[in-house]
Amino acid sequence: MSAPINVGDRLPERVIGPFDAGALARYAEVSGDDNPLHLDDAVAAAIGLAAPPVHGMKLLAAFEPMLKAWRDDLVIAALGGKFVQPILRGETVTLSGRVLRASEQEIFVRLFAHGAARAPGVIGEATLRPAERRL
Amino acid sequence: MPVETSLEAPIALGPFRLRVDPARAAAYAREIGADEASVPLAYPAVWLAEPELFAKVRELCASLDVVPVHESQSFAYESPLVAGESYDLSVTLNREEKPPRLTLAASIATPSGAPCGRIETMLRLVPRAGFGSGS
Repeated sequence: MSAPINVGDRLPERVIGPFDAGALARYAEVSGDDNPLHLDDAVAAAIGLAAPPVHGMKLLAAFEPMLKAWRDDLVIAALGGKFVQPILRGETVTLSGRVLRASEQEIFVRLFAHGAARAPGVIGEATLRPAERRL
Repeated sequence: MPVETSLEAPIALGPFRLRVDPARAAAYAREIGADEASVPLAYPAVWLAEPELFAKVRELCASLDVVPVHESQSFAYESPLVAGESYDLSVTLNREEKPPRLTLAASIATPSGAPCGRIETMLRLVPRAGFGSGS
């Protein structure tokens, strides 16, 4: 590892989106998740959403480039998250993270994806290891 | 803390021989804002949407008249996926009653049997009435 990593360190925030209907359609096509909830305003409205929600997987996956940009001397061994509440089409998304555990062998990071709402849409976690170690 | 109860014996599916399609991996990387030099950690989400695999989930949900809502997702790797290579995906489906939920636990291995990683997908099962359609 180059610079030391300490518990409590904050990762540089990354702002993504806003995602329009075209972006959601492209993700649906490439991922195979063609749930109309993400693509059809009427389906989203039927469950009380003002717009279709962004695929949770698209947001979770977006943590990977954020983590790689933070430390290119680490590799991501695990990435996961809970989809807590919808982040809607048209919302700007802020990705953030904080180091919860750190040793020479492993770094554990808590991750958040926030849309327009106060509460996070995705609460994630990642385990990273020095690049010289195998995953 | 609520007690989680399993309804029936887990269902084993596969192994499914699946390939990391280089063009699709690159397209997936673009849609999550990642570079195209490596296979995205979340790429196996594409495999989970494969009709032969997801058919069992659809069938189960139809029989229960519920919609699966993606609640959480995780990926853990022992070695990175390589574009163009094929892998064997073995899946275990487990249904819980309280809360109503379907868990897909999958292992990824090379065709020679070397373990590469693990995936866990949790789907909350929501009554279809008033919901629309699910992923």
